[in-house]
Amino acid sequence: MDESDIALRNLTYELFVAEGRAPTASAIAAASSFAMSVAEVAGGWRRLADAHALVLADDGGLRMLNPFSAVPTRYRVHAAGRSWYGNCAWDAFGICAALHVDGLIETTCVDCDDPIAVHVRDRRPDDDSLVFHCLVPAAHWWDDIGFT
Amino acid sequence: MNLFRSEEHVNRWLDGRPPGDTLPVARLCDLAHAWWGDRIDPAWRPHTLTQNQAILDRLGLVGEFWRVA
Repeated sequence: MDESDIALRNLTYELFVAEGRAPTASAIAAASSFAMSVAEVAGGWRRLADAHALVLADDGGLRMLNPFSAVPTRYRVHAAGRSWYGNCAWDAFGICAALHVDGLIETTCVDCDDPIAVHVRDRRPDDDSLVFHCLVPAAHWWDDIGFT
Repeated sequence: MNLFRSEEHVNRWLDGRPPGDTLPVARLCDLAHAWWGDRIDPAWRPHTLTQNQAILDRLGLVGEFWRVA
């Protein structure tokens, strides 16, 4: 991953955080101070995906900019006056961690569908009764990241 | 990687499948901060497998299940 790909990656995060939704390659190209074309953005995203720095959808757009999800999921995170989707429970807490802010995670129990709302304040969840289950061993997380 | 009301709910959801690992949510929160805390820092650089493994080890997530490679 060279410096230009890291700059592209950083701009992608910057727009995702600022707008609360995934930027398109066109939006990145328009915002780029380093004058990238849409095709160059798409090519850079492919290299970043190969390096597991993000995950692309079949159409070449963003699917995951971990911990943020570009598509709706069961993990909705409200923080810093905006809302995002997390890819999973780990990523939902990761959004508060990445932004260094308190937040509210809204989801449902995967077993019973009961609503769950857990606040993160000063890096601590306010409901200690909940548990997290990781089904896939760490060495296989990237075998099928959508399933993981 | 999901949240559940309790371990009883995890076991019901697994429905006989082999379990992975279950953590209290407070430990997940610690893990998220250690793993994602630098993610939008402009000085971010890719984590190596060694760095990622060190995060897991430091939080006591050890054993074959938590070996990243």
